[in-house]
Amino acid sequence: MTGDVERYLVVGATLFVLGALGFFTRRNLILMVLSTELMLHGVSLTLVTFSRVHNNFEGQSFTIFILTVAACEAGLALSLILALFQKSKSLDIDFWTELREPDLPSPRLAEEAERRAFVEPAPAEYPRLTPAGRVPEEVGRHDA
Amino acid sequence: MEWIAEHWPGVASLALMGSGVWWLMPRTVQRPKVVGLMIALVGAYLMASRVRAAEGPLGETILFSVFATAAIACAILMITNRNPVYAALWFALVTLSTCGLFWLQFAPFLAAATVIVYAGAIVVTFVFVIMLAQQSGATAYDQRSRQPCLATVAAFLLLGMLLSTLRASTSDDFHVAALQTPAAANSLSRPPEGEPMDKDTMRGLGRSLFGDYLFAVELAGTLLLVATIGAIAIAPRRGRGTL
Repeated sequence: MTGDVERYLVVGATLFVLGALGFFTRRNLILMVLSTELMLHGVSLTLVTFSRVHNNFEGQSFTIFILTVAACEAGLALSLILALFQKSKSLDIDFWTELREPDLPSPRLAEEAERRAFVEPAPAEYPRLTPAGRVPEEVGRHDA
Repeated sequence: MEWIAEHWPGVASLALMGSGVWWLMPRTVQRPKVVGLMIALVGAYLMASRVRAAEGPLGETILFSVFATAAIACAILMITNRNPVYAALWFALVTLSTCGLFWLQFAPFLAAATVIVYAGAIVVTFVFVIMLAQQSGATAYDQRSRQPCLATVAAFLLLGMLLSTLRASTSDDFHVAALQTPAAANSLSRPPEGEPMDKDTMRGLGRSLFGDYLFAVELAGTLLLVATIGAIAIAPRRGRGTL
């Protein structure tokens, strides 16, 4: 294998692994889905590279199908996330650790759950804008 | 021990990159980001120096280095950023860099389509949902990461396995299949007599899509339709004062 093929494959593998790492470590539902999209980028890059190696268009055709499936997946995942968000009012994946077989242990570490009670910072508030001008008086309805 | 002594440059580059990513992982104690990014990029540079030298023209090598560095750096920043909006924007940059790599590999249509679909549609949808759901700003669960050490070690072990497989492969592994003719049952998927197989135009890709993969294209269209209906069905109804 020549170097100009190998280097693209190395980048594809690195993107895939970084996406997997993001999926493992992040707790935000949206960022987990975004990390899977990063993994799909790595796979797409590998497919396009092999398409060039074999001098045909099969890899590029597969990449177009990956694109289609990624679009479907993003739409479905985001609507699912919105539905979950309406129930828990949070994007934290830890809210859904109860969704498991009853005989399995909790994936949440004990010391983590303990630490959580202390270090939970209050959500940062955005500054409130002052209302422009004074509040208009209600006129007309009773005077008439 | 002997194995490590034999393969120490690869192990060292992976360990450097992994420790840089681990340094950047969100946690309650803030750390300077520049340090982690520098460590990770030094590791990536060592990893790149072990890849066999390319034979292509110098311009392609330079463009490749720019796009590959941007893709990896933005991917590291994306998976470690505390703010989901910034993470989505870093992901858009990863998409643009990947499209540059597509373009370097004679896939200009794919590069354009990926920019339109990912950077134009998917990232915008993600940012919309983040804005809808996280209106109160920074949250607690974005400040911590789950099992950062174990996850980093596992991920970079996987990367090491992939890279060692790549290094062990020879050019014979790749050119066997190139000699075979593509499995084209449809006459549409071949260029007409006398016309060369065009490599970097949309015509060849269109021939492949609507010749070999016509059924799959129809199936993908149906999948899009079903996913649209499903997304509308799953998405919560808009109550008063909520999403």
